[in-house]
Amino acid sequence: MDLERLGKHPRLFFLGLGLLAILLPWLPMGGSTNYVLRILTTAVLYMILALGLNIVPGFTGLLDLGYVGFYGIGAYTSGLLAIHYNMSMWLILPLAALNGALWGTLLGAPTLRLTGDYFAIVTFGFSELVVLVIRNELWLTRGPMGLPGISPPSIFGHPLTRDWEFFYLILILLLIVLVVVTRLQDSRVGRAWFAIREDEIAAQCSGVNLIRYKVTAFAISASIGAMAGAFYAKWFKFIHPDMFKFWESILILCLIVFGGMGSIAGTMLGALILIPLSEVLRAVLPQGLFSARYLIYGLVLVLMMRWRPEGLIPFERAQARKAWLAKERLKI
Amino acid sequence: MNSLLDQSSLFLQQLVNGITLGGVYALIAVGYTMVYGVIQLINFAHGEIYMLGAFLAYSMVTVLGLPFLAAFILTILICSGFGIILDFIAYRPLRKAPRLAALITAIGMSIFLQNLAMMIWGSQIKSYPRDVLPEIFSKTAWNVGDVTLSWLQIFMLVITIVSMAILHLVIHRTRIGTAMRAVSQDKTTSALMGIGVNRVISFTFAVGSAMGGMAGILVGLYYNAIFPTMGYIAGIKAFAAAVLGGIGSVPGAMLGGGVLGIAEVIGAGYISSEYRDGISYAVMIAVILFKPAGLIGRQIGEKA
Repeated sequence: MDLERLGKHPRLFFLGLGLLAILLPWLPMGGSTNYVLRILTTAVLYMILALGLNIVPGFTGLLDLGYVGFYGIGAYTSGLLAIHYNMSMWLILPLAALNGALWGTLLGAPTLRLTGDYFAIVTFGFSELVVLVIRNELWLTRGPMGLPGISPPSIFGHPLTRDWEFFYLILILLLIVLVVVTRLQDSRVGRAWFAIREDEIAAQCSGVNLIRYKVTAFAISASIGAMAGAFYAKWFKFIHPDMFKFWESILILCLIVFGGMGSIAGTMLGALILIPLSEVLRAVLPQGLFSARYLIYGLVLVLMMRWRPEGLIPFERAQARKAWLAKERLKI
Repeated sequence: MNSLLDQSSLFLQQLVNGITLGGVYALIAVGYTMVYGVIQLINFAHGEIYMLGAFLAYSMVTVLGLPFLAAFILTILICSGFGIILDFIAYRPLRKAPRLAALITAIGMSIFLQNLAMMIWGSQIKSYPRDVLPEIFSKTAWNVGDVTLSWLQIFMLVITIVSMAILHLVIHRTRIGTAMRAVSQDKTTSALMGIGVNRVISFTFAVGSAMGGMAGILVGLYYNAIFPTMGYIAGIKAFAAAVLGGIGSVPGAMLGGGVLGIAEVIGAGYISSEYRDGISYAVMIAVILFKPAGLIGRQIGEKA
């Protein structure tokens, strides 16, 4: 694949990819359709997660090591609302996103005044505390027994159970998140974030309210993570505290770093390559070694930072493409 | 009356355990704080050096059949070598890169080493076989009322105090220590004064990793358990200790370790043992929020 050209024509490329995705459930795959669909649903879920996380390290330049905490908050919000109130998923998704944003603001408002390293470590501590609370507050979350029996989502009274239904559902979610993230990137807020990332002091001198924009970034990122968690709970129908451990944050960070930090196309490509790869590893590696797949993720982080810190599809090129597109529009 | 006595001896016992544990946290915290002092990087992989220390000593006494003390010293030397190599291959190429890149590399190295250990030694919990350890470790040294102090605890405390004292002398009385303090104040000016900055950074990694590896063995002995993910929890707690004392300050790390160890043991005993690890995280978050300079550190939390 020619990444140079991909960087110039991502719209066409992703249109094709989207078309392929829509047709996918109906292509002949010799009986493995459901398996492939499940893997791809996971990959798209991680795309959403990565797009959400990307706002903080990618757009604003702050390392967030506690992203999975919001994913967990969203999943448990969704699971508990579904079990206790039998709420519809269309109500649960926004509520979970709201809850994520709330926690993001609560955590971000005091901590984002600090330098990046301190922020990274506080977010880490927060996500560990989330897991500890989920694990120990049995009255609320059933702790290590997990939360089973989450009802599947339904549309007009028709419960979704088949793999292609979930695949389409998550594609719709991806589309929504993609629109939100792209619009944000091109907005005044997005420009403020990039300014903070490039040079905090210069940004502040140009009138960017550092705290406000950082908290906004963190809260939006958290709400996307929480929404992804809400979908996950409804899809998997069972959630457990171990699903939201620190490792997940690293995996999602790895997707971004691999694909290209700050670049929306890169972030998605990272998820599309690495998540199915981990499924391949699950099939190839012996049982005991499968957990060591994180070795590869760790190595990816180190090697990418050393040799290609801009990732597969760099952010700068995405910017350059936009400038080029704008010029093209002027010509017409 | 009797129950009051029980209460106070329980408290004393926990104080003793807390101080022992705190000493070990301080040993690890010193590694974080020194590296942060010279290159302003949170070396997330430091916890993995600590874990490797525990495993290397384990392999030396079981596979190679070395006597415990020899394994102890050899492990410390190898760990300091690891520290130098870690800096050389992972951090040195990124010295001029943005801080985010170095932080991500540190996280990556930590994950990599942890899983490497899982591949080599497996993920089950291992313990040092009793028969290769000095017999005295399992004996009780002191028994006042219900309060017991084992020889192992005394060994840990002595090692901690002696190495801290040596470290203090090295930092304040030797040439390389002076160079370290100079580099931590201003790298460029130090280089202009003829200090080999990279050599000083290597030395810092070596000393920090030696102490980390040592702490790994001690904790492995104390809890009688070594496992590949042990560095991740201990690393974060030690980092919390470093922050609590004031990052960049070596006496601060010692104080922070002590306070955190006691807070954790007492908190686990009186508040909730499920939240044992949570106490360190909560202390850390609270300190970062309300007093980022730490107990005795200089102000570096906020951007200048």
